[in-house]
Amino acid sequence: MRFILLDKITSLESGEEIRAIKNVSLAEEYLADHFPTFPVLPGVLLLEGLVESASWLVREKEDFAHSMILLEQASNVRYKSFLAPGGQVEYTVQAKTIEENVSSFKGTAEVNGERIVQAKIGLRHFNLAEEDARFAEQDARIIERMKGRYKLLRIEN
Amino acid sequence: MAMNRDEILSNVQEVLIDALGADDDEVTPEATLMGDLGAESIDFLDIVFRLEKAFGIKIPREEIFPIEGLMNNPDYVKNGKLTDAGLEELKKKMPHTELGDFVEDPDINKLGDLFTVNSVVNFIEMKLNNK
Amino acid sequence: MRWIWIDKFIEFESKKRAVALKNVTMAEEHLHDHFPGFPVMPECLMIEAMAQTAGILVGEAKKFKEKVILAKIKKAVFSHYVKPGDTITLEAQIDTLTEEAASTSGQIRCGDKLIGEISLMFSHIDRNIGGKKFPEENFVFTDTFKSLIKDISFPEQN
Repeated sequence: MRFILLDKITSLESGEEIRAIKNVSLAEEYLADHFPTFPVLPGVLLLEGLVESASWLVREKEDFAHSMILLEQASNVRYKSFLAPGGQVEYTVQAKTIEENVSSFKGTAEVNGERIVQAKIGLRHFNLAEEDARFAEQDARIIERMKGRYKLLRIEN
Repeated sequence: MAMNRDEILSNVQEVLIDALGADDDEVTPEATLMGDLGAESIDFLDIVFRLEKAFGIKIPREEIFPIEGLMNNPDYVKNGKLTDAGLEELKKKMPHTELGDFVEDPDINKLGDLFTVNSVVNFIEMKLNNK
Repeated sequence: MRWIWIDKFIEFESKKRAVALKNVTMAEEHLHDHFPGFPVMPECLMIEAMAQTAGILVGEAKKFKEKVILAKIKKAVFSHYVKPGDTITLEAQIDTLTEEAASTSGQIRCGDKLIGEISLMFSHIDRNIGGKKFPEENFVFTDTFKSLIKDISFPEQN
């Protein structure tokens, strides 16, 4: 399974708000376990969709300055309903603050206009070279790959 | 456990800020849990668990938030509004809540607006005094 | 990719607490997207590992009769990342358990290092989410999950 939980970024207002979508398909293997006879997108992957959306807001805003963007805190993540294969979820994430190494957001996920998840998230961003200079090469490689992934996600806009 | 109303309010506000991710200044005494603070079904359970811990008392959810019993009973609801029997039941079950204008227009969609921060404080005050 | 984020239970105190562990390995394909060139276990999957640990603890408390679903992540905080070759332990405690729901706290460690703290709420779905239809059988606690605890002996339950 590929760990990319967004399919397209549909709009992005630099440093402010991002919208993205993800399709859910039975082709996604883990659905066989979650759950057998009742396949639905796992709640944590909906959260991951919000985390990835927020991460793109950071990367774009800071012009891909950092390689590592990780979830530092998630709170009040509430799940209201399920998303089954054949459905599509739209993520909307708004930035509260984006500083050099930390940022905070609030986000929602909607299916057919009905909200199914909402969350508050905080990210931390850094380069591996800050901990160990030998990892500068890894940083550069990750950043190049993420720039490529970003282009793919924004292919239509 | 002797607590005055201000202490109760302060503890209730802290519970709601944690459970709902609300800002300090949003949790005013008149704020509605559902409308203003965005509380949902699972949040009511979270709030009850935290209140039980904060005040050292047991709170059956139907006692503090008795909506389900009312809404699912056909004797109490007709055409989207509470019947007279429904209103009576509501007054009996929620002595901690001010019904105000709701009595004039007992629209069940507005039931949620009855749950204010104040009604939670009232409930806790009643519970602690009856101990 | 399987949707099982713990490898085994190492401690289990029915209705109270449980400790599970997970090995993180290069063989896990998804790590190589997060991130390409420096794989680390995604925090959301660590949350899921905790949810599975706590969910089984809660489910066992009701002898797996209820369909226990993650309803709310109250708070999840992470302070370190986890790499292939690391083994994380997930310790969950039941804070409250009622007919309708359960609230748990948990800590994730790698050795002695605290990686994350996670508090969750689970819902027993047949008793909530009014109106929605679910399959009769308990699709949440499949044999795969129950087999994770088969080697643990439980005291006589009442």
